[in-house]
This record gives sequence, C-alpha cells and structure tokens, in this order.
Amino acid sequence: MGMRELPSIGRRRGSIVGAVVLAVAVGVVLRSVMGGPLSGIVSKGALSSTLRLSVPIAFAALGGIFAEKSGVINIGLEGHLIISAFVAIYAVNTTGSVWIGFVAGVLASTLLAGVFAVVCLEFRADQIIAGLAVWLVALGLAPFLSTVIYGSVNASSSMSFERITIPVLSEIPVLGALFDASPPVYLLFLAVGGSWYVLNRTAFGRWVQASGENPQALDTAGVSVRRVRYASVLLSGVLAGIGGASFAIDLSQFSGNGQTMIEGRGFIAIVAYLLGNYNPIGAFFSTTLFAGLQTLQIQLQSGFLPSSLVQTIPYLTVIVVLALVGRTRTPDAAGDHYESGEE
Amino acid sequence: MDRRTFLKAVGATSVAGIAGCTGGPTENGESTDNASDGESTAVAVVYATGGLGDGSFNDQAQAGLQRAEEELSLQTEHSQPSDPSDFPQFQSQYAQSTSPTYDLISCIGALQKDPLSDTAPQFPDQQFMIVDAKVDEDNVESYQFREEEGSFQVGHLAGLLTTGGLSTGAASTTEETKVGFVGGEELPLIKKFEAGFKAGIKHVDASIGVTSNYVGSFNDVARGKETALTQYNDGVDIIYHASGNTGTGVFQAAQQAGRYAIGVDSDQSKTKSNYADHILASMVKHVDVAMFDAINGVVEDSFEGGTSTDLGLDQDGVKTVYGETLGPEIPEDIKSNLETSKEKVASGEISVPTDPSSV
Repeated sequence: MGMRELPSIGRRRGSIVGAVVLAVAVGVVLRSVMGGPLSGIVSKGALSSTLRLSVPIAFAALGGIFAEKSGVINIGLEGHLIISAFVAIYAVNTTGSVWIGFVAGVLASTLLAGVFAVVCLEFRADQIIAGLAVWLVALGLAPFLSTVIYGSVNASSSMSFERITIPVLSEIPVLGALFDASPPVYLLFLAVGGSWYVLNRTAFGRWVQASGENPQALDTAGVSVRRVRYASVLLSGVLAGIGGASFAIDLSQFSGNGQTMIEGRGFIAIVAYLLGNYNPIGAFFSTTLFAGLQTLQIQLQSGFLPSSLVQTIPYLTVIVVLALVGRTRTPDAAGDHYESGEE
Repeated sequence: MDRRTFLKAVGATSVAGIAGCTGGPTENGESTDNASDGESTAVAVVYATGGLGDGSFNDQAQAGLQRAEEELSLQTEHSQPSDPSDFPQFQSQYAQSTSPTYDLISCIGALQKDPLSDTAPQFPDQQFMIVDAKVDEDNVESYQFREEEGSFQVGHLAGLLTTGGLSTGAASTTEETKVGFVGGEELPLIKKFEAGFKAGIKHVDASIGVTSNYVGSFNDVARGKETALTQYNDGVDIIYHASGNTGTGVFQAAQQAGRYAIGVDSDQSKTKSNYADHILASMVKHVDVAMFDAINGVVEDSFEGGTSTDLGLDQDGVKTVYGETLGPEIPEDIKSNLETSKEKVASGEISVPTDPSSV
C-alpha cells in the first residue's frame, strides 16, 4: 500500500477518517438494503444519542491517555467508572444536590486512582495486575455498598442534570444536537480540547510524554518522574470519575447487577484511545464511531437480520477497524517501573 | 517495600470484594427455629439475575414470599446471584444445607431451568419450585405464565389509545398511529410478550405501525433509554417494555419525550413512581401468587412434584393494571373494550400466538 510511505501522523489521521467513512458507508448500505428511510441515521436525535452514549467512554479514554502516556497503564478504568457512578448516586441522594453528587463521584474515583498510583509507584506492583484489582474491587464494592445502604444492588435517585439548550444554534438541523445537551456533553467537548492542549502545548504535557517515552531523560532534566506519574494517574482518576458520575446522574440510577450498568465501557475506552493512538481527539472520534454504531444498530434492527446479530455490529466494526488500520505506537516505557538512579 | 506482600493484600481485598458482590445466602428470617421440628417451614429463594429492587420480576416474587412470611410460620433465606453461572452453586448449596433443612427451594426465572435440571435429580428428596420454565423432574413444581395473554391486553390498550389519541398533563400521543416494543434479551420467553402485544394491536387495526427492538441486556438503562428515544423520535406514542431494569431507561425516555410507556411484571407506576405520569398501565405477572401457592402447598403437605401450572388471564396469573396516576384518565369505553377482549381470550375465543413471526 502506498499509505506506508506517508508519515505516521498523516497515516493515522487518514485511517481514522477512513474508518469513519467506511462505517457510515456500511450503515447506509445496510439500511438501504433493509429498507426504511435513511433520514433516521443522520438525525438530530441520533447525534444526541451518540453523544450521550459517548460520555462515559470518552472521559475514561481521556483518563487512560494521561496515565499511559506517563508510563502507567491504567487498565482499571472500568473500576473508576463503577465506583464514581455509585458514589455519585449515593451523594445525590444524601445531599440533594446533583453537583455535589457529581463532585463526590469524581473524588471517589480519584481516591481509587490514588491507591492504584501508590501500589504501582511505591510498591512497584505489576500495573496490569493492580489495574485488574482496581476493577475487581470496584465491581464488588459498589454493589455491596448499595446492598448495605439501599438493600438492593440497584439504587436510584430522583434528580438529574438540567439540559442546556443554546438558543438559535440548537435549531440547526442535525448539528443542533451539539447545542442541545446535558452539561456532561459540553464538559466532554472542553475536556477533549483541553486534554489535547495540555498534552501538546504545555510543559506538563511534555513531561508526561517524556515520562512515558524516556523517563531517564526527564530525570536528567531535573523533573521528578514519580511526581509526573502520580499527577497523571490522579488525573486519569478525575477524568474517568467525571465519566462515571455523569453517566449515573444522567440516568438517575446505579444498577449493580452482573457487570453493573457500566457493562464494559471502561474496556471499550481502552480500545478507543488505542484506536486514536493516544491522541485525545482521535480517541474522541473512535468513541463516537462506536457510540454512533450503537445508535445505528437500533435502527437496523427493524430489518430482516436477527437483532442479536445486529447488536454485534459495533463490536465487530471496532475489531475490524483496529485490525485493519490500527497502527498504535505504545509509549516506550509504558508498564515499566522507574527508580531514580537505577541503571 | 515488599511488593509480594502488597499484591497479596490487594488480591485478598479483591476476593473479599467479589464475595461481597456475589452476596452469598443472606439470613433473612426472624425465626430461628430448626425447620425439622415441624413447626416452621424453611424456604430458600434463588432470585433471578437483576436482583431485588428491579421494580419488576424479582420484587414481585419477593412480595409473594413476604405474604407467605406474614401468613405462615416461615424461616426464609435468599440469594441474589449476579451471574447465571452462579445458579447451580446456590441451588445445591441450599439443597445440601442441614441447618436448616429446606422444605422448599424456589428458583426464580427461566435461566435457572438448565441448572435445576442438573441439580434436582441429584437431590431426589429435596422439593423445588421453578418460575417461568418447566423442569420435568419428580421433585420440581413448575409454574409458567401465559405472558402473551397479558401482553395481548396491553397491546389492545395501546392500539386503542394511539388510534383514539390521549392527552394528559405530562404527556400526549402524536398524530401518527405508531406503537413500540422494547425487549431485553431476545429469548423465546420475551418473544411471547412481543407476540401477544403485536396480536393485541392487530386486534384493533392491522394498519397500526409497530416497531420492535431488543437491547440485548436486562440491565442496560442507558441503551434502554436510547432505544426508546429512537422509537419516540420516530413518532411512536406508546412503548411496551419487557426488559427488566433496562425498562427504567424506557420510562426516562418517555419522560423526556413526553409520551407514554407500559410497564411489566409488577405495577410499575408504583415501583417506579417517579415516572407515574407516563406509565399508562402494567402487564402484571403474578409471580407472587405462584410463590405463595407453592409455599402454601408445602406447608399443607400438598406439594406435587412433576406438575406444571400454567397461569393465564383466566386464573388472574397475568393481568392489566392501570397506572396509579394515568388510570383514571383512560376513557371508560376503552376499559370496557379491554374487559370484553379479556373474556374472549380467557374463554379461548381469541387465541394468542406465542411467536411474533406468526402474528
């Protein structure tokens, strides 16, 4: 393929765009084969739905980027989403304020990230094992607490975010969905832009990248690798916490059965940022690709294919896209411990 | 800094965490009598995944258990497995228990069928009951519901309302005559709901549009909401859900879109009272009756293993319960129409299909 000669950045961008175009094309073809109006696919409602489904995944993905860029693989994103979802609902119920609940959820997730950071950075635990432990602890703890407090693994609240509708702009066909959403969606736009800016245009961003690529160099330059990694892991907890808290508050509910209401979204987030090659904007678009397909499959179900088959389309597409165009470059020192003064 | 020690600690914590999640059998009885003394009956319940507090299926079963606790001398214990793979463990754990020895083990939900078919023959002296499936063993009483009959009723209701139109404080129907169905997982059991619903709508007018979607989970509120919103955006007036906890998302969508929904299993205008302004009615499945009858049978020594009881409209096993808030808003002539079709279904004059493809 002639693509190979392109510089890696251009190639990556090209492949993401290609993947999105491919997915839309597949959707349109499927839809027209199965009959029914095409308008449903690109409607304001479908775009709103895609954005709402993107919120938890995209926030967790942004968090994962910071942690892994700094050299700490945070595979426990799912756990952060779970714990923040439950704590948010609990705090909303006890304080009667949506925003206090939101902050409490974020704090809980950050606290969990703090424990993870200590385990990985002070005790030099294997990051994958510790990350899995974070997930398993949250998976057990949240439904357990819910049972203790509410007598059931499911807990609900009666409050949710107020939707913010921007006049005039929200009237635009289709794209109006971007200006008629609940606060977490706007926060997501800010977070994606902000993360990109921090990573690429600030000193902290350069430290994070150096800490993951060449920690010795960072150390030599007089910056503490440990502190940069602590900050990055905590930041991943904050971002994933925003995702989990927003998700639960938006639905006024925590349901803790089986894989809980998060149902693997934290793991999808990992796929999303790998597909986006650790670029916040790339991760955002990979997320919307997945979430968009989730919305699309609802429409496709009315066709002749069995719905259980249609439901696999988002997952299949992501796997195919990852296999065909995924050329992710992992940071060199990701997963490795770094001790100042070690050779 | 010994990382091995630390890992052990982390491991232990997570194991404890998982144990907390699985729950284990929870002691729930106020009576501590030994069951074998003949004075109190010991009953163990293995609930369906979805857990208590689902506002539908499990809570309805629990209502039956609570009624039995009040009226009969009982010692009870229950577990809420979080995964179908835990069913065999809980079933045989209760069957092996000697303090107390359980007189009856109630297995709630169709997914317990295969595990129970394995467990029951291993404990021939243990009495079991199962709801929503038929297990052909001499020590198992099976209770099944004719969900399609109850769903026919709510389909009839939805069809009449989308045609005639309805407008209440928080919600209203559109110009279009469209209704929708949202299912949890695409299982034969859930297809019975869909089939009955579609047949009920066709009974009103074959030209009414029906959209059916399956979310693929009984526990995904977010996708339940998006699925329902897609239908409402498409002009659907009323959605009937058979999707357990996922249905909470359907109610939220109804609230957001200002339309109507129909609940399932228990009176959801009460169990999900936040959404009472949007819940027209619920297709109540009296799992509580099955539960109580089985326990009562054991107490009265009339347990009959190997039998299967079918509960339909005729036996009040399934029925339409109007929403607390919206019930009074539904026109009387529609309610009397429903009474007529109920009698026709009960008497067999109308036969309701169990497979959507044959509607």
